[in-house]
Amino acid sequence: MPPGALSRERDVREAYAAHAGELYGFAVRSLGDSGLAEEAVQETFLRAWRAGARFDPQIGSLRTWLFAILRNVVIDLGRARASRPTVAEGGIEPTVEPFEEALLSWQVEEAMRRIGDQHRRVLVETYYRGRPYAEVAAELGVPEGTVKSRVYYGLRALRVALEEIGYDD
Amino acid sequence: MTTERCREWRESLGAHALGQLPEEERAALEAHLEGCPECRAELSSLAGVARLLPMADPEHFDTAPTPPPSLADQVVATIRAERRKGRRRRLRLGLAFSGVTAVVAAAALAIFVLPGGSGGTPEQHVSFASLPSGLHIAATLEPHAYGTEIHMYVKGAPSGTLCRVFVRGPNGVRQSAGSFRYRWGDDSDAVLSAALDLSRTKALGVRVGGRTFVAPVDSGEAA
Repeated sequence: MPPGALSRERDVREAYAAHAGELYGFAVRSLGDSGLAEEAVQETFLRAWRAGARFDPQIGSLRTWLFAILRNVVIDLGRARASRPTVAEGGIEPTVEPFEEALLSWQVEEAMRRIGDQHRRVLVETYYRGRPYAEVAAELGVPEGTVKSRVYYGLRALRVALEEIGYDD
Repeated sequence: MTTERCREWRESLGAHALGQLPEEERAALEAHLEGCPECRAELSSLAGVARLLPMADPEHFDTAPTPPPSLADQVVATIRAERRKGRRRRLRLGLAFSGVTAVVAAAALAIFVLPGGSGGTPEQHVSFASLPSGLHIAATLEPHAYGTEIHMYVKGAPSGTLCRVFVRGPNGVRQSAGSFRYRWGDDSDAVLSAALDLSRTKALGVRVGGRTFVAPVDSGEAA
């Protein structure tokens, strides 16, 4: 069995400690339900453990692998949920699309949580709340030019954070 | 090199990527961009990030949801249960290919193994009372055609401690079930076996370091 495979209980615990927070955060974001998200995380680690021998650290990180498994679990859960009430009439098969969107939303939000407060603040105020630079500058007690440069460095920090959490355009 | 001259322009690139630059500043910046491939490259990279912003909901920026603390144990418990199932499967396969003819093997499977799996004597959880504080020992016994499978969980002994496991039959006869070493940080269970039917097993003992602890086994033969 290759090193890093989740063959022992200890490996599972270590992998859980390192990645469960993110996996859960994303599962909540995409399933919109904390109970289902717990189920998804549990199922993800079970599948990872079953397939432990197939994990090859040379190909990708454990994190990427776990996210790939979670992706399938979320799609399965979404399907199961969709088929419960009114599948006969609609017959709508949840596609991969909503998953990719949810993943992207989660990645951007997670990246926002990782950048500095000052950077996040100016992005929220100027972009999401659409407030003028002068107003935000006055509120923060800094020159307008500082707000502008924080927007710039904020976007750069966001780019780095996105790369860190595996965003790949 | 245009780095020094670019610095000021650079800091406007974020606002530009977000469409927040006032008209006259934008015109001046665009004039600079015409002649500066580095700034153009930086703008295009920032624009890639800016395009993603509408995907996010600022309501979610402050706190990430965290899994309940109990989830870690649930995950491990699920995997333990799965591992037990897997062992039973392997055992059946092992018997099927053990050299006897397939027909005999199939008969053996039907007679001995299947009752052990789901029906028959259920698995037994054994708890050890009056242990020294800090030491934790628990065991689960599973019935099998060959005897009893023993899962030992030990916690709190010095790392490397030798643990010898034995079972006692109806008339106090002691049978060794093997030994293992407790390693600090490894919380997986040690799996041992004894050639004594679970239904005839009266007690489970383990010698940890220099001390012996014995726990009664409720083998289901009440009175």
